[in-house]
Amino acid sequence: MAEFAELEEIDGVRMTWNVWPHSRLEAAKCVVPFCTLYTPAKQTSQLQVVEYDPVPCKTCGSVLNPYAAVDFHAKIWTCPFCHTRNHFPPHYAGISEASVPAELFPQYCTIEYAMPRMGPTAPPSFVFVLDTTVAEDELLAAKTAVQQALTMVPENAQVGLVTFGTHVHVHEIGFTECPRAYVFRGSKDYSAAQVQEQLGLHSQAAQRRAGPASPLKAGPAPGGLAPRPGNRFVLPLSECEFMVTKTLDELQRDAFPAVAASRPARALGTAVQVAAAMMGGCLPTGSGAARLILLVGGACTEGGGKVVDKELTEPIRSHKDLAKDAAPYYRKAKKFYDAIAAQLVAQGHSMDLFACSLDQVGLSEMKACIEHTGGYVVQTDTFTNPIFKDSLRRLFTPAGEEGYLGLNSNATFEVHCSKDIKVAGVLGPASALEKKSPLVSEQVVGVGGTTAWKLCTLSTNTTLAVVYDIVAQHGGGSDPTAQQFFIQFVTRYLHDSGVMRCRVTTITRRWVEGSNLGDLIQGFDQEAAAVLMGRVVSWKMEEEEDFDATRWLDRSLIRLCSRFGDYRKDDPDSFQLRPQLSYYPQFMFNFRRSQFIQVFGHSPDETAFARIQLNRELTGDSMLMIQPTLYSFSFNGPPEPVLLDVSSIAPDRILMLDAYFYVVVFHGSTIAQWRKAGYQDQAEHAAFKQLLQAPQDEAHAIISRRFPTPRFTDCDQNGSQARFLLAKLNPSATYNTSSAVSSEIIMTDDVSLQVFTDHLKKLAVQS
Amino acid sequence: PAAFPRPAGPGGEAQVGPPPAYSHYNCKPEFVRMTSYAVPNSQALKARWHLPYGAVVHPLAELAGPVAVANPSGGPIIRCKRCRTYMNPFMQWMDGGRRYSCNVCSMVNEVPVEYFCTLDAAGRRIDQAERPELCSGSVEYIAPAEYMVRAPMPPTYVFVIDVSFAAAASGMLGAVCATIKESLDLLPGDERTQVAFITFDNTLHFYNLKSTLSVPQQMVVAEIDDPFVPLPDDLLVNLRESRAVVDALLDSLPQSYGRASQVESAMGPALQAAFLVMNHIGGKLLLFQAAAPSLGIGRIKARDNPALYGTDREYSLRTPDDPFYKRFSAEASRFQICVDVFAFGSAYMDLPSLGALPKYTGGQLYYYPGFAAERDGGKLHAELRRNLSRETAWEAVMRIRCSKGLRVSAFFGHFFIRSTDLLALPACDADKSFSVEITHEETLLSGQVAYLQAALLYTNSSGERRIRVHTIAMPVVSELIDLYKTADAGATVALMGKHAVERSFSSKLDDVRSALQQRLVASLREYRMLHMRGTPGGMGAGLSPNALVLPERLKSMPLLTLGLTKTAALRGTGRDVNSDERTAVGHTLMAGSVYNALRTVYPDCYPVYELAGNWGNEGADGRVELPATVPAGLEYFNPAGAYLIDNGRTLILWLGQALPPPFYQQAFGLQGPPQDASGLNPEPVRQGSELSARINAVLGRLRGHKELWQECWTIRQGTPMEAHVMPFLVEDRQAAAGSMG
Ligand SMILES: [Zn+2]
Ligand SMILES: [Zn+2]
Repeated sequence: MAEFAELEEIDGVRMTWNVWPHSRLEAAKCVVPFCTLYTPAKQTSQLQVVEYDPVPCKTCGSVLNPYAAVDFHAKIWTCPFCHTRNHFPPHYAGISEASVPAELFPQYCTIEYAMPRMGPTAPPSFVFVLDTTVAEDELLAAKTAVQQALTMVPENAQVGLVTFGTHVHVHEIGFTECPRAYVFRGSKDYSAAQVQEQLGLHSQAAQRRAGPASPLKAGPAPGGLAPRPGNRFVLPLSECEFMVTKTLDELQRDAFPAVAASRPARALGTAVQVAAAMMGGCLPTGSGAARLILLVGGACTEGGGKVVDKELTEPIRSHKDLAKDAAPYYRKAKKFYDAIAAQLVAQGHSMDLFACSLDQVGLSEMKACIEHTGGYVVQTDTFTNPIFKDSLRRLFTPAGEEGYLGLNSNATFEVHCSKDIKVAGVLGPASALEKKSPLVSEQVVGVGGTTAWKLCTLSTNTTLAVVYDIVAQHGGGSDPTAQQFFIQFVTRYLHDSGVMRCRVTTITRRWVEGSNLGDLIQGFDQEAAAVLMGRVVSWKMEEEEDFDATRWLDRSLIRLCSRFGDYRKDDPDSFQLRPQLSYYPQFMFNFRRSQFIQVFGHSPDETAFARIQLNRELTGDSMLMIQPTLYSFSFNGPPEPVLLDVSSIAPDRILMLDAYFYVVVFHGSTIAQWRKAGYQDQAEHAAFKQLLQAPQDEAHAIISRRFPTPRFTDCDQNGSQARFLLAKLNPSATYNTSSAVSSEIIMTDDVSLQVFTDHLKKLAVQS
Repeated sequence: PAAFPRPAGPGGEAQVGPPPAYSHYNCKPEFVRMTSYAVPNSQALKARWHLPYGAVVHPLAELAGPVAVANPSGGPIIRCKRCRTYMNPFMQWMDGGRRYSCNVCSMVNEVPVEYFCTLDAAGRRIDQAERPELCSGSVEYIAPAEYMVRAPMPPTYVFVIDVSFAAAASGMLGAVCATIKESLDLLPGDERTQVAFITFDNTLHFYNLKSTLSVPQQMVVAEIDDPFVPLPDDLLVNLRESRAVVDALLDSLPQSYGRASQVESAMGPALQAAFLVMNHIGGKLLLFQAAAPSLGIGRIKARDNPALYGTDREYSLRTPDDPFYKRFSAEASRFQICVDVFAFGSAYMDLPSLGALPKYTGGQLYYYPGFAAERDGGKLHAELRRNLSRETAWEAVMRIRCSKGLRVSAFFGHFFIRSTDLLALPACDADKSFSVEITHEETLLSGQVAYLQAALLYTNSSGERRIRVHTIAMPVVSELIDLYKTADAGATVALMGKHAVERSFSSKLDDVRSALQQRLVASLREYRMLHMRGTPGGMGAGLSPNALVLPERLKSMPLLTLGLTKTAALRGTGRDVNSDERTAVGHTLMAGSVYNALRTVYPDCYPVYELAGNWGNEGADGRVELPATVPAGLEYFNPAGAYLIDNGRTLILWLGQALPPPFYQQAFGLQGPPQDASGLNPEPVRQGSELSARINAVLGRLRGHKELWQECWTIRQGTPMEAHVMPFLVEDRQAAAGSMG
């Protein structure tokens, strides 16, 4: 696996299979789809940035790359994708074997073009959408956090302010006589045009509609920076700072009285609808980064996005309700937010959600608004929780500083690939751009039907899974030049620095005869495969009615093992997997037990959040979600990874679990006793103090670099919080097993890894 | 025409005033004026009285002075069990004071123990002189809880101000804000007073005026098809607590909208919004409308079409177009909301529609055609200030009762009629009058004396629930001549005017005018026949067949009737008077005082060019003396003179062609007459000029404490501007549309 991770360092690409069968039939037998996991804005130290435009192939549009065959004499290059012979542009006249442009260097298979010619762009814009139906101290905390965030936004940044409760207030921060807000009825469903007309932005929107606004042109529309009459709502902070501050200072809780023992009227959905339309009316499409930052303290109870009734006797929907179709507002709300998501995508704007509430806020319904726009979700219990403030701050952390997220924007992502490969779709925080191409597969996985996608936000971690369809006829491809196939990713985006960039990554891999299982196995990346299966299953669980995820995963695993395992028919004991596949069953075992599959112990919002993260994060981080890592700290030596098994628990050990969404430091019973006794405070036990401190340092290092911030649990063996660790451990010892190998047993009916594996072997070898 | 006596010159007032009171217990004529102070004893007799028969009731008239409170410590309110008439000086006491007979319905009532009092030899209660209700025709009661459906409301003012382009351009916005701000200290109600502000153009603007804010927060609602209130509280605030925020708002509004370019005006939605803000409490809604409402419900179409004159649809020009106006007014009335409309448009504003708002809610229509702040600011200032500072009665109802056999058959004024005879008045004030026509329900009246009692139940600005009761007694007569002898020409012409205006809402003006004349002619013919028959005293002896015979107390009726047909409410066609002007004048005729109606019908023309006499100086009664008037006709004006014409709405200083230069020197500080006199302003007192001081003193007296403040225009004889004076010179032939010459 290490070799794949090394390759990832260079190009930001992982592949489920690194060797592909040149046959549709054989491909189908591989069970795990053919896929690239690509991180387009990955920060790498070797990245070559050149200050000129890429040279495209005149036929297929792919970009000149190291794999092109070059005739230096004739000044011609041959496209490796479509084999078109292209003349170099006139300014390449000087090239020769001795003088080669960077994009032809073999080591620059990933190269980035900075394109200042794409013109100036609008500054980044941040529209805060703030819930006022929360308690007084909550509102104060939220206001303070926004005010602090304002001190961090770039100097030239534009801001806007929308607040909501029973109704929605769009603050006209460009009006200086007194604080002024346009008020929209919380219970009403507004079209974008209605909002824009009511805000007096109508003519402007119409004017822009008339202009050329092809989404593939990532650059600003002509006149994108021209003064926009009517825009008094999103303005450079320098022009409106006083008014924004004043408005926030005097902002009151929603004044409409809530009925006792009921939820307040919270027109969250209408607020998002209005804010999105307002941004559409004020900000020219595609000219700059723009984020709708939604700060909410509870679920929507009013208007189109309503997810729950006001009566507290009506609990907010659970997975059980969803399964029974007993959540009366779910589908309607989802449809409502899906429409807003589509609008945000069309505008190129992102939506971030800061949910600061003990109860759910309706993320499950709102998911499309976040996921399709690449926005972030931060969930905490209250606005006073430091995680909220720190997370909000990180959105504005400038490049090069601790906590920087790298929020590039307005990206388009295009895929080119060799003959016999078609593109089935993307699993990731992307939306389809209507790009018809012969490369589009009939089969659709995720967001398909195109070879180009839009990403409103592109962070340094954003990882897209592109799923391919091999359409080669069996026994074709005898052409020796076709031993290699190529895939190219072209990502145009607005860099943090305000300049348009274009990153081009071109990779090549080997075709093999489909029946050559040994070669195929050599190229199997079991981590990438697990992550991809995770994304596929999450997608299917949302897309397909009555989809049985466990069963589907089990069958896939059995088929894979049956195909690629070494065994004698009907002899389970003979079953073996080669190293490239050997961890895969364990990944699947842990994935089956995770919150992604076992949703009933979680709220729909938690599930939605987890899926959003799995669908966008780096392969490595996604692996943590699927199978956490467990480290042991003891006096017996340096920290070491240990089995994710209950047997790893020992009285004199400290365990640190990184499950991505949360980090647990777990003290064995003896350690816990010592700590309680305060040994660490005694000079003679400095070593114990160090031992205690080491996992804490490690955990906080993880927490500080991860976004959104994971939850941290510090617990002791036998303490109530210990369940966060135990839930993730392989129940090799339960109350069902007689021989307890460890000091701990887990109260569960789940099967252990051993039982699971035995069962798998039995089924895999069945004829 | 010179043969007609005129309500002008010395004694003019006496000709049109009321006769001496029948009983000294009667309420003062400032409160109630009858067209005749005798009651015909039969339907047959009444039928021969061709003039209107009824009363003009002015329940809160200021000039009559204060009214005594009958139960200052909250004692009982004694009313007839059957007809609910309030205790008054005309009740008959019996059984040694244990029972009384109702003067209105004759029902014999028991006297409650706590009200019992023995009688003197003449059958009067011995406490009569100590009890205002027994010795005065006008009295007030402090009403106990059973007269309330809720706690008395605080004085509440909701200002709804158009801030579209025209508002700023005309200076209206600045003038209105400045006046409101300056009047805040004058609003009645002390620490209880509440205010709210809504402004609008194509959107609605609400203001959070919470006292803890440093500046008001504005909330814009663009949802004009379905307005809603963006905030549950803090829109309508206690003035004292939020005074600083209110001041800040009034200071900032003219700036905020000073460069407004929005020409649309969503008035209907703004009214709906104001309704939502105040309907839990009621109060006064003051609408300041800069131009024709163009957006949303109630928007105005340019429908003023002079071509409709003479057709069956003519009346529609004078009635509301959109049913919204009547509907909204009815709803407002139900929620104790009184609407005053200040209309400033330079073009057609459809006052026939807008006028419905004050008409049905006890409000007032103010009209400033082509308002320009530098010219008309003073008028707006004075009128708005009076509106805001005058004592106002809140959440009021009024009922007028009369003796058995008589019945109120028609009501005129600004109100909404609830349950057949109850006038709902969300607000009422000293400037409002209400008129009724009285008919005979029975063929013959039985008693010797008939009564009329008007009772106004209201909440005063201090939060006291009060009842003001006016009672008047009149002899029942069997001879027509007795009706003439006690006639009141002023009340008669006022009632005729109201009747005519009301009729103009359903008939052609031509028909209205000829009906007026026919009425007068019928009345005079009847009177003449009375003489021909030779009444006692032989008054009819030796009359030539064509000689005009006029009853003494009605001798100015021919001129007044002529004047009535020449008022802007009734004269000419669409080309002579536009519908807005007509409506505005019609409104003042309908709800104003008798005094004001007389000015409107026949202007007072005061010569103000000779220093002879004491005019312009303080007279014996402490008031500024007025010059003796001259008839309202050009032929009576001296071309070397200057005349001040008071038509009730404006003052016109008419300057004769031959007026000598010294007048210009003294009155205007000019060497001689300028080409264009329209800009001349006599108002600032010229230093060292007695004439100027006296003219200004007269202007001051004429303006007095009136609902409308009269601007003074200067017009020179022989200039084109003089055309504006002609309609007021009632006696001139050229102005006559249907003159009786
Ligand atoms: Zn090509
Ligand atoms: Zn009675």
